[in-house]
Amino acid sequence: MAYAYLFKYIIIGDTGVGKSCLLLQFTDKRFQPVHDLTIGVEFGARMITIDGKQIKLQIWDTAGQEAFRSITRSYYRGAAGALLVYDITRRDTFNHLTTWLEDARQHSNSNMVIMLIGNKSDLESRREVKKEEGEAFAREHGLVFMETSAKTAANVEEAFINTAKEIYEKIQEGVFDINNEANGIKIGPQHSTGGGASGAGGAGAGGAAGGGCC
Amino acid sequence: MLSRFSDVLQTAADVLAPPATRLEDFQYHWKMIIHFYQNYDDNSKVHIEDTRIPHHLHQMLQLIVEEEKEQQGGTVGPCLEAIVQRSVCLLDALTALAAADRPPGARSLALTTGTALLRRTRQPCVNSAHVYRPLQRMLIQCNENPASPTEKEEVELLLTLCGLVRKEPGLANIFTTPFVEEKSSLLSIPEDIQRLIPLKSKVQTPKKNPLFEVEMAPNPMRNISLVRTNSKEDNGAITTSNSSVADDNVSCKSQKTVYEDNDKFLLIDLLLSYLNSADNQVVLRACEGIMIVSSLPEDDIANLVTSCSPVCETIIEKLAEKYKSVPLDVDPNDVDHLNITWAYVAQDFGDKGYNRFHGYRELTSFFSWLDYCDTLMKECHPAIASHLSRTFRAQFLEAAGELALGSARSATLAAALLAKCLRVVDSQELINEFSNWLVGDGEMSEWPLLLVLINNCLSDDHDLTLETLRFFETIVEKGTEHSINRLVLSRVCSRGYYSQQPVLEEDERDRLNDVSLWRERERNREAMKQLQHEDHVTEQINDILQHEGLETKEQPDTENIHRIINSFLLLLPRAVLSDPVGSDYEHYIHDAQRHYQLWLDVTSNFSWPSDQNCGDNTASSTHSYDSRPEADIHMNEEFQPLHQTMDHKDTWIKDHYPMDDNNHFSQKLVLRTRDVNTTAVEEEFDEGPFFRMLFKLLSNMPYQPYQVNLHLTAIISKLALIPHPYLHEYLLNPMLPTSKKTPTLFKILQDVARRLTMEIPRIKNYKKVIESTRLQLMSEDPSYDDRGDHNQLVESLIVLEEFCKELAAIAFVKYQHGMHMHG
Ligand SMILES: Nc1nc2c(ncn2[C@@H]2O[C@H](COP(=O)(O)OP(=O)(O)OP(=O)(O)O)[C@@H](O)[C@H]2O)c(=O)[nH]1
Ligand SMILES: [Mg+2]
Repeated sequence: MAYAYLFKYIIIGDTGVGKSCLLLQFTDKRFQPVHDLTIGVEFGARMITIDGKQIKLQIWDTAGQEAFRSITRSYYRGAAGALLVYDITRRDTFNHLTTWLEDARQHSNSNMVIMLIGNKSDLESRREVKKEEGEAFAREHGLVFMETSAKTAANVEEAFINTAKEIYEKIQEGVFDINNEANGIKIGPQHSTGGGASGAGGAGAGGAAGGGCC
Repeated sequence: MLSRFSDVLQTAADVLAPPATRLEDFQYHWKMIIHFYQNYDDNSKVHIEDTRIPHHLHQMLQLIVEEEKEQQGGTVGPCLEAIVQRSVCLLDALTALAAADRPPGARSLALTTGTALLRRTRQPCVNSAHVYRPLQRMLIQCNENPASPTEKEEVELLLTLCGLVRKEPGLANIFTTPFVEEKSSLLSIPEDIQRLIPLKSKVQTPKKNPLFEVEMAPNPMRNISLVRTNSKEDNGAITTSNSSVADDNVSCKSQKTVYEDNDKFLLIDLLLSYLNSADNQVVLRACEGIMIVSSLPEDDIANLVTSCSPVCETIIEKLAEKYKSVPLDVDPNDVDHLNITWAYVAQDFGDKGYNRFHGYRELTSFFSWLDYCDTLMKECHPAIASHLSRTFRAQFLEAAGELALGSARSATLAAALLAKCLRVVDSQELINEFSNWLVGDGEMSEWPLLLVLINNCLSDDHDLTLETLRFFETIVEKGTEHSINRLVLSRVCSRGYYSQQPVLEEDERDRLNDVSLWRERERNREAMKQLQHEDHVTEQINDILQHEGLETKEQPDTENIHRIINSFLLLLPRAVLSDPVGSDYEHYIHDAQRHYQLWLDVTSNFSWPSDQNCGDNTASSTHSYDSRPEADIHMNEEFQPLHQTMDHKDTWIKDHYPMDDNNHFSQKLVLRTRDVNTTAVEEEFDEGPFFRMLFKLLSNMPYQPYQVNLHLTAIISKLALIPHPYLHEYLLNPMLPTSKKTPTLFKILQDVARRLTMEIPRIKNYKKVIESTRLQLMSEDPSYDDRGDHNQLVESLIVLEEFCKELAAIAFVKYQHGMHMHG
């Protein structure tokens, strides 16, 4: 299917916070009650529309367990967006956010958009982390924040789409170099029909790296 | 149909009778499965998804997951216990299903059910023989035929097992040869199950499975020493049934194992066979599995991986294969612009639009594999990393280097690919392998490969020159202490370029102080303008230096740095300058500051002469060390012999450089001194093959394409940034006293400038041409390179002009740093 842009996302956060469930709810609109431990990384994709443009989201759902961190790290590089998820019913998952953020910032490109997600908002009675705390953390670290429920689907669409909007805005502002695939963004086929122009683009600008002129 | 009916009956019965326990539910579903197979007709073509089997398996799984949630302190619930005790032979049945694929689709279902059981339960009791035996058998079903339609499910099961091993390393023992006994017993499936689900004879003896390539020791248990730890299961939570096999009492939670040569790590070996799959997702899974196991901190497992499996060799072999399959005619510029993350490529490859230019897929495939190797290097156990990097050198670099020795075309591609490889590689060990491979790690300092590459830079083929220069640029950029010592410093560090010859020195200084010809300056108006220009530049430099925090009055040495900067900035006369106002000079200063800091960080642990000396040298550069007591001492100690008279030399060397001194710098010194002994009175400094090549290209600047000059000057400015005192003065001190024949950067630049100053005014309308060429170069128009109407002469003039600004900035920044160091 034709798309204007393709964005690469990752979902990160402690084990059991509901990363795989969020992805499943977003791509398949269903909920999986059992915890099917993710080893390595799972993949999902969906088309969305922003500003009248078709955008393909490719989403990599990573393993939260410490033992598999070596794999998770491989995905930071080359992602345009990240959903950093904690579980509002487990304070420890909230406490680990700083470590996750450090890891993400260290291994990803600096422009990566990070959305903070407090998941399992349907379990109000078991809540351990106040919404305000999530908001404060997001404000402090310059993230967008949202509470979701992968079970009831509340805010799930919004979480993924708002992240995409944020990336889209950055593209409009020229923050992202869309010709560099390392940024996790690809221009769709109908955009690059200029006959290989994108391939040759910048070839002459090699001088910029040369250090002398230009 | 029948089964569905009975399920309904059961539900109806539940309403009347007291609710069944979870175990009863569990047994019920198990009975339904047995019932199905008792009545199964092989002629029916029904697919398993159209039967109730998936439903029953799912329910059984669900019951195990639910009961685990209620179990306290890791005890095993009754459903799982039934499996562990083999009263419900679920796992044996799954194994039989995986082997028989009966009805069609059963194999895939069995594999996914097994995988789900392991992933959904926190304690799947894998260290119980009744669990791991069937799993081992199921693994045998995997990989039976390389492109099996269930390879996805197979590799998923393997990955899951890797995950289990990652979390409980003792489990690795289940997947090593000593635990795999006689083929017959391993394959045996309980008779009742066998009767139910008969295996086709073909399936029973898989051929291509590594499990069966193992030479079995007569008594496998002899090879292994196990330290038993009491697991909960041993403590009676589970009483193993009488029918269990003899080694049930061997706990797999062993901590220590001793491996023999012919042992194999089957889990990894099995994964390796999936690396050749045509399905990139399958390959990705196998890669993940390997990375998970390799990143275990246990030394035991790491040794197992390196000595009992060919994993490193296989991975590097694949790298070399992918390298060789890159078409010879890909455009080196395309190579340069690639940006690939291994983990994302599997998905991209499914995309049909993923073929942007000729060779794109091959290049992507190669560089993503390289990225995998690099990532693996950074994540894996140090023992694996060192084995992998050795293999990388021996099997990849050596093979890749052969291309560099071939035709111009293949040498160009090899240089482009290797430069890119080095640029993207992040693991320090791989970078070290690269540099050792290039400059050699033995005694020989001029490696044949290095000489070939240096020669390639001097080729008439500009593409070859350009790509090989880019390669060297990367080598310098990613320089290790060893590679910089060998490539750059081996001659310079003897300081043999230094020569105190008073007459020459004066002569040199005169020339330097009058960069333009003084006679003309006196005579015509142009000379007046030149004078004004020089004053103007000096004034501007003053402003900038002050802005950079340099108080001219407080520092007595600032005069020297002024002279150095002026030497570079006034190298070209005003008449041919394209951008006489040093507007971007500050920009160069900031660039140099940033890059110099990087170099300081990189070289901070190198055993080079200290940075302090470097600062001293810069500060005192016009004083030729006379006014610097410390510098004098330093110099006298190390370098006096080169400038002493012959008769003193031998004794001095014996005193200062005993023969067993293993410092290779000093060895060089001795050699050089002996040269002097046997040859003429005037000693010639040999700058070594690398500098010789750079200088040769530099003096050829006016007749070379812009791109070549750009990369050439980029390499030299990188070298000039390196914080090494002798390299610093050799490249950046225009007042350095040297003998007439010793080539230095500044002398060559002067010569090039002289030639350009003579030739360019002969071009019609030369001022206009200079101006428009500059505009075009600055516009960064990608199509510019392809156009034919270049004026190489003018282009090189502009490169030279900018290069001089850059060198002046570098000299200043290093000086500034030295000043800060001294308070
Ligand atoms: N009530 C409720 N439960 C949820 C929600 N999201 C996930 N869960 C449950 O939380 C458990 C873990 O969910 P997963 O999505 O598998 O967790 P994960 O973050 O992918 O964990 P790892 O793969 O180990 O990193 C499952 O049992 C889910 O059913 C939610 O929004 N509400
Ligand atoms: Mg998950």
